Amino acid sequence: MEKKKIRIALTKGRIENKAVDLLKKIGYDVTDLLEKGRRLILTIPNENIEVVLAKAADVITYVEHGVCDLGVVGKDTIMEHGGKFYEIADLGFGRCKFALAVKKGNDFYCGYGVKTVATKYPEVTRNFFENKGIDVDIVKIEGSVELAPLVGLSDGIVDIVETGTTLKENGLEVVEDVAPVSARLIANTVSIKLKQERILEIVNLIKENL
Amino acid sequence: MKGNDWLTPEGTRDLLFEECAAKRTLEERITGIFESYGYSEVITPGIEFYDVFNGKTRHFPPETMYKLVDGKNRLMVLRPDTTMPIARLCATRLRREELPLKLFYNQSVFMVNPKDSGRDDEFEQSGIEIIGGENEDSDYEALFLAAKTLGECDKDYRLEIGDSGIFREILSKINCMDGDFVEKVRIGIETKNYPAIDFALEELDDSEAKVSLKMLARLFGGFEVFDEARKYLCGELLEEKLSRLERLCSELSEIVPKEKIRVDLGLANKKNYYTGIIFKGYVEGYGQPVLSGGRYDSLIGEFGGNDAKAVGFAVNIEAAAKVYLKNKGKSLTKTADVLVFSKNKIEALKHCEKLISEGLIVRNFNGECCVCAEKFAKSHGIKRLDIVNENCEVEVREV
Repeated sequence: MEKKKIRIALTKGRIENKAVDLLKKIGYDVTDLLEKGRRLILTIPNENIEVVLAKAADVITYVEHGVCDLGVVGKDTIMEHGGKFYEIADLGFGRCKFALAVKKGNDFYCGYGVKTVATKYPEVTRNFFENKGIDVDIVKIEGSVELAPLVGLSDGIVDIVETGTTLKENGLEVVEDVAPVSARLIANTVSIKLKQERILEIVNLIKENL
Repeated sequence: MKGNDWLTPEGTRDLLFEECAAKRTLEERITGIFESYGYSEVITPGIEFYDVFNGKTRHFPPETMYKLVDGKNRLMVLRPDTTMPIARLCATRLRREELPLKLFYNQSVFMVNPKDSGRDDEFEQSGIEIIGGENEDSDYEALFLAAKTLGECDKDYRLEIGDSGIFREILSKINCMDGDFVEKVRIGIETKNYPAIDFALEELDDSEAKVSLKMLARLFGGFEVFDEARKYLCGELLEEKLSRLERLCSELSEIVPKEKIRVDLGLANKKNYYTGIIFKGYVEGYGQPVLSGGRYDSLIGEFGGNDAKAVGFAVNIEAAAKVYLKNKGKSLTKTADVLVFSKNKIEALKHCEKLISEGLIVRNFNGECCVCAEKFAKSHGIKRLDIVNENCEVEVREV
């Protein structure tokens, strides 16, 4: 009997490369994924698996609506975007963290004034400070958040930190970790029930090969 | 500046022709099931007091409700659900009614979805509520009717059953009653977020209950789940709940195909008015459950009524209709059998009436030009054109 068709959404870029390595390790034929050109829908022959490539937040959207059964996406996007899906495994790769950083030597928590925080992740920032019971003004920035405190727009930033080099070169330093981040395997809540055996078979293979 | 006079609000849309037909067809079939089992229909107001949806065990997040104020500046909402209004109804106007009551409804509910999520803010729900009864025997009827309802939406459905008491029972074994911790674990289990569950449980000392919580979200599937569950869920009360659920499922499988029945012991719903079984219905082609329900034995008491045991479910007709329409090969809308043309408009209507009494569907042509009528019939796929002349004679033309 032919295997039930499963569609997996991968976050384009670094996460995609790591995920393809993982699929290869499982023993799947990933030739199509390595020679993708500009195509967005790729297949793993013999397994009846379709792989689609999408931007991080779109991976969540596709999985949430059930047009993709599984997805691989960073915890950073999950925290910012939210949504209804099952987060079934921590894939371990794409490890980094959310952190609060300020200009070197500054004390973020000094004084009574409401502080301003610049970030690409307003939801993550809001949740972080709400849990602490601290009022902050949040300014959404689209790129190179490090600039904001340097030119005096904000007192600090909440951003993804991998090695800390960018911060260091711009005279910033981490004052506090906000949350750890890594790639996650997510599943549509209905797919996992309708195609349970097939999905769990793939999930177990993934877990065994981490 | 262009106004909003040519848009529908986000999350709403106009339903046309086939979409209406699909929705009406499903609606009729599903309410037909309820009526054939002797359920009585109720219609509740579209606008309710905010307080109806905000109580001890009723947590409808305020940000998901459409709100307005009445003439006395009191906070109102567009009803986000029908079970609360029915519980209110049972605690008030129906409080002296002989139980059990079997009610059904078929009406729209409203909710604010996140921006650009592509979800409906207004959708129709059909459902039943069985109010009263000595014990929990009404679970059988509610589950069977849920299965029948799902069968009308799509032949390939799944009815998934769990028990809200299992999660609570395990929690009661842990001394830690920190609300934040409980909520963290509950969300983890509800969203099957295995890394989060494991992380949250790290702060607990090793115990049987910890293992149970860790495994709960993984205990879903076919009937084999019960044997698996017994390895991790210990204790008299848990065993009792498991056995009851197992009995319920296996007895149900005599009248519902066994492969359609699924079990999920990790259904730890946020709506914590549920006190017993909870269940969800799934069909292929819609990424969210189309049906959900459960037992709520203390809700009516919370509205000040006599404590009455109750169980019910609602099905999202809008979602089911979308799936139904997608699977449906043939057209659902009806074209007219006959186009009627006459220069004498009264004679035309008289002839229409005559054809209708013969059981035909007619379309009356409102125009003066016979050639146009023929053209119209052709382009609309109407196979017959009846022309009524000045002497009231009828000429029948095949188009």
